[in-house]
Amino acid sequence: MQPTRVLQGLRYRKLRLTTKDTNKGFYKGNRTGSMGTHTTYGTYKIDWAKVRTYVCPNLSGFKLTPFVSRQVNVVHDQFPGDKLGPRNPHTYLARWKSENGLD
Amino acid sequence: MASPAALRPSMGAIMQTCRSAVTAPKVAVAAVPVRALSTSAALLKRHKYPTARVTRDNSKKRGESAVHKSGTRWKLSVSDEPLPEPVPRDELPPIQVDEDHGLWDFFYDRETIAMEPTELAKHGRSWTVSELRKKSWDDLHKLWWVCVKERNRLATAEWERNKSKLGFGGAEASSRDRMVKITMRGIKHVLTERFYAWEDAVKLAEQDPEIDLSNPEKPYEPSTFLEEAEETAEASSSEAQPTTTEIDPTTIPSSKSQAEAPRL
Repeated sequence: MQPTRVLQGLRYRKLRLTTKDTNKGFYKGNRTGSMGTHTTYGTYKIDWAKVRTYVCPNLSGFKLTPFVSRQVNVVHDQFPGDKLGPRNPHTYLARWKSENGLD
Repeated sequence: MASPAALRPSMGAIMQTCRSAVTAPKVAVAAVPVRALSTSAALLKRHKYPTARVTRDNSKKRGESAVHKSGTRWKLSVSDEPLPEPVPRDELPPIQVDEDHGLWDFFYDRETIAMEPTELAKHGRSWTVSELRKKSWDDLHKLWWVCVKERNRLATAEWERNKSKLGFGGAEASSRDRMVKITMRGIKHVLTERFYAWEDAVKLAEQDPEIDLSNPEKPYEPSTFLEEAEETAEASSSEAQPTTTEIDPTTIPSSKSQAEAPRL
């Protein structure tokens, strides 16, 4: 039996890599990173320096909400003649110069 | 050795077996009233010769049965002290709660469990990327956390709605959540965009003769004098305007201008 050309993934792989496709030692992970180390006794020691802490900024006096009133019309940015648009480094540098030129 | 083990079952079980044993021959009941109960006695009795191996019963709960109401094999300790009487809820001292605790942010309201669907549906649209481009890093950072807290509140209400089986409100909550998620996506978009622009701008600045990045005190030294700058500004005012409009989307007006805008 031969899978279809799509499933064969001839040009580039269209299916996710699983343990069936690789040799041993394959660890896909869940993109979270480790929080400690495994010990020789099979337990896990948490390294508190590795544990993520997220510090919320001081929100007192901050009036923005996740929502914008529906009375505000949606206006999209226009960058006529500028292919890079908001990613244009020239615009960035010009603004940096005009504002303070420091940081 | 057999008798203490045999006598262990509770009185209730003994009475029960005694009652059931009434139909059985009376001689057996009178002679060994509890032998029928004991399952370990026979085992312990079996080998009495000197070289017999020890067949200890390792099951400490043998014969105990919840179905047959045998009770425990050992007497449990009993104290003479009277049981404390439960205090009615009204007479209990009030629970001390920190009014400024951060976990209060997980609720919309301190009195109600979850918002009504009609209240939940009262929300605006999400932020567009164009609007977010005008915001500073600090504003975006704070707005991100406002979004996080809003999603926390929604998740808490959702959990409460499922637990208390309140019924409606899931659709409204999910549409609200979708709006928050779009805003958060926009924040990520803008910050990524800004970072890429900064990366390219640094490369550009290295080639710029006016900029000396090795000098942290004053990296930017304008080559043109003020008078010339004014002249050129006047001369190229028609040219300068489109450039300023190009800059405009990324300018950072403070959040004060947004303060008067209708919220929610």
